[in-house]
Amino acid sequence: MNNIFPFNKFITGFNIIKANGGPLNAFKKLFRHDELKIGTLVGTDEMGNRYYENNTYFYGRNRWVEYNDQVYLDYDASQITAEWYGWIHYKTDLLPYNDPNRPKYKWMAKHTENETGTERQYVPYSTMPPKIQAWVPPNKN
Amino acid sequence: MAAREASKCATKIVRPLLSSDKSEAKKRVLNLYKTYYRQIPLMLFDRHLPVSKEECQIKLKEEFLKNKHITDVRVIDMLVIKGQMLLQEIVTKWAQDCHIMTLFKDTVEPKPNDFLSKFVNNNDSQ
Amino acid sequence: MFRTTLQRTVPCIRLVVAPGQFRLNSNAPAPPSKLEVFIDDKKVLVDPGTTVLQAAALAGVEIPRFCYHERLAVAGNCRMCLVEVERSPKPVAACAMPVMNGWKIKTNSELTRKAREGVMEFLLMNHPLDCPICDQGGECDLQDQSMAFGSDRSRFVDIDYSGKRAVEDKDIGPLVKTIMTRCIHCTRCIRFASEVAGVDDLGTTGRGSDMQVGTYIEKMFLSELSGNVIDLCPVGALTSKPYSFSARPWETRKTDSVDVLDALGSNIVVSTRAGDVMRILPRLNEDINEEWLSDKSRFSYDGLKRQRLITPLVKDNKGNLVPVEWEDALVATSRALINANGNIVGVSGGLSDAESMIALKDLLNRLGSEQLYTEEPFPMTGSGTDFRSSYILNSSISGLEQADLVLLIGTNPRYEAPLLNTRIRKSYVHNDLEIALLGPKVDLSYDYEYLGESPAILKDLAEKRHAFYAKLSKAKRPVIILGAQQFEREDGAILLAQAQQLSQELNKNADKGWKILNVLQQVAGQVAALDLGYKPYNNLPAAKVLYLLGADNESLTKCKPAGTTVIYQGHHGDAGAAIADIVLPGAAYTEKQATYVNTEGRAQQTLMAVQPPGMARSDWKIIRAISEFVGVKLPYDTLNEVRDRLTDVCPSMTRYGDLEPANYLVQASDLAKDLSSQTVSTPLNVKQITLEDFYMTDSISRSSPTMAKCIQAVRKQKESKYYESRA
Repeated sequence: MNNIFPFNKFITGFNIIKANGGPLNAFKKLFRHDELKIGTLVGTDEMGNRYYENNTYFYGRNRWVEYNDQVYLDYDASQITAEWYGWIHYKTDLLPYNDPNRPKYKWMAKHTENETGTERQYVPYSTMPPKIQAWVPPNKN
Repeated sequence: MAAREASKCATKIVRPLLSSDKSEAKKRVLNLYKTYYRQIPLMLFDRHLPVSKEECQIKLKEEFLKNKHITDVRVIDMLVIKGQMLLQEIVTKWAQDCHIMTLFKDTVEPKPNDFLSKFVNNNDSQ
Repeated sequence: MFRTTLQRTVPCIRLVVAPGQFRLNSNAPAPPSKLEVFIDDKKVLVDPGTTVLQAAALAGVEIPRFCYHERLAVAGNCRMCLVEVERSPKPVAACAMPVMNGWKIKTNSELTRKAREGVMEFLLMNHPLDCPICDQGGECDLQDQSMAFGSDRSRFVDIDYSGKRAVEDKDIGPLVKTIMTRCIHCTRCIRFASEVAGVDDLGTTGRGSDMQVGTYIEKMFLSELSGNVIDLCPVGALTSKPYSFSARPWETRKTDSVDVLDALGSNIVVSTRAGDVMRILPRLNEDINEEWLSDKSRFSYDGLKRQRLITPLVKDNKGNLVPVEWEDALVATSRALINANGNIVGVSGGLSDAESMIALKDLLNRLGSEQLYTEEPFPMTGSGTDFRSSYILNSSISGLEQADLVLLIGTNPRYEAPLLNTRIRKSYVHNDLEIALLGPKVDLSYDYEYLGESPAILKDLAEKRHAFYAKLSKAKRPVIILGAQQFEREDGAILLAQAQQLSQELNKNADKGWKILNVLQQVAGQVAALDLGYKPYNNLPAAKVLYLLGADNESLTKCKPAGTTVIYQGHHGDAGAAIADIVLPGAAYTEKQATYVNTEGRAQQTLMAVQPPGMARSDWKIIRAISEFVGVKLPYDTLNEVRDRLTDVCPSMTRYGDLEPANYLVQASDLAKDLSSQTVSTPLNVKQITLEDFYMTDSISRSSPTMAKCIQAVRKQKESKYYESRA
């Protein structure tokens, strides 16, 4: 029966849409992320990104992030904070808040995303003094 | 004795490259031209070149006419050989799109020749 | 056996040495004028008195040496030049030993090599292993000769017990850096200071391994020629302070050029790296600078990197100079020139080259103006600048060595032309040259007869009334050097006329063809300007446009005429650029291929060592570009075409390296005859009296921090309790 008409796929699809908050919200999410998934929310980082896990998916696709809604389409992988970086890249299976060995010092800087292409990007500059010093005409006014 | 040697030198027949006389060389040139001409639509079909068929035909004619002053049969033959080599490169795609586009030189800025533009462009070669 | 030969020789010697014997033999044929010696079995004929080292050089064998230098007295204390002479019990010092007839000298024998290796081992025993951090690395005689002639191993093991000799460094001024531990006591610097520079500041104290080269008391070695000890030092004991740790000789590019900071046109080598002038060294030219260079020429290259004009500047409506593109500057310039309607004045400065001057002259002539002036004054009365002999150094720089009496009038050659002064001093030391000075009393580094500073004395001399005239008239090759600075006086013409008259009087008794009158110019561009038909600047007429070609003269720039548009073309932002409405950036002498004529009338060219900075261009090209905007296109596009034009105007100007003598001294004197009877009373004065005044004289040296440091050092020295004025 399933071979003729894939009921279970429809049911899965229906569940996914339901889990994502109805057809309109699901459509918005699909538009933003090109993907709709169902999973458990395992945590949120300081940037407001939500991390999900669903081990029924294949390894490599079973952990994902939904970026903060405020950045909308301007999301970037460098917005994942350093503490979540290890978990989402499968360096560790421990969630950040479950990891006892994670250092936390007050001097540790807040996470910043990659600023390349923005106004605040780093532009290398010469640290050499100029070879020729130009004459500056006297300013009368 | 010396005169005979000299005349021997003068009448020595140069070994031909391909053609034995001018008419044969001309035939080879026309043949090459026609082959190129027929290759142009196929070439444009195969590649994404920012030029039209007509532009290619004009360029082809221009490249051939560049050498119209040459009368030496051996030089003509050598140019025909080189033309065939380029044709082979185009057909087999050894020559990539950018190599074909260098013939059009659309990105090369001409060097200034007159004093003033050299002066303004800081061309300080004496 | 030995005793018998001795007995035979002794009476023989007595016979020869007996005084009467010479008289008897006086009719005998003279001894052969050439001696025959054998260098490594190669026969050489040399003059008597030739040293072994010179004879070897004639045979093409170079004997290693440290202390010997061709232009300094022989010291013979480094012992590196030891060579074996056949049948001599010991090796002899080649630099000090005159050859004898029939000597067989072995420059590469076992004994010679062993002697060299021994000397080298002793030298290296007390020489630090500094080479990787030593500025002499790559051009060090000790490095080279230890590779070529040294032993391949050392027996020096005493590093733990007494160690290597260490000597405290001395502070001898802002130009020469001393690392005295490296000194090998060749005494070249001492001999240079006392013989060539005429400053007896350096000397040695102690002996053996305690020997030190120094200044005895703590003071600086301040001389206008101090930089030459850096070249002379065979090791890295004396190195250049501004150049220290900045480049290695093998990574620099060398360009032959000509110095323009004084009127002598000393030949120089400009070392550059990555478009940056690293240092300037002298180039050998026996006719001009020998192998010396004055400190200003050598060290003011850092002025080429400061206060530079790198973009065209045009005044905006607020009256401020703002950077613009070349097109805008050329449009503004041509608009000003066209609006002037021919009422244009061009003034060329002291550093201008002949190419730009001819271009400016052609441009202004085509615009209907004949008003082209040089910054430096010259009297226009009498023959004016019509005869070249009135404004050049007729007897030439090397010709001064043949002179037997020099009369200096209103000049201090020690600071105006240091290398001319070394020539006079050389002649004073070696040929007993007599020198007399008329003008303010200055320290010339040699003794002279002081005549006073009143110009009336010159008139007395010219009219044969002065006591010194007797001595002057007896001289066979007298030389009168008149400082061009005196033409700034209102009565400069009278001084020139009187000097001309005096030289004509002296000519009667002097050798035939000997030229007596000399004018010592102050700046490098003056002779070329006058040759090209520029008029000397005496009084500037009012004009609508004033075109300054590198002219920064105070009298010219201190009061800007109202309603005049000033166009300044040059390489440094100095007084001229400050008053300008349009500034066009030109190239300095290291940045262009250009012709300069020195004070003796010798055309020389500079070569392009680096590119002009920023938007600066070669000077003649700027004028050529303007001409096209104005609509009177000049007919030359390349340097060779400009030089063809130069050759048309003045053929000697492109015969590079040749001295072009001048004539018509008699006619010039005759034309000025009615002037010479006038009397002048204001005492003569010169601008450069002490060393302090020497360092900053033009826009390049004025913007050089090294030159500023030198002036500070001289002032500090004056406050020292050991200072004594020698003037």
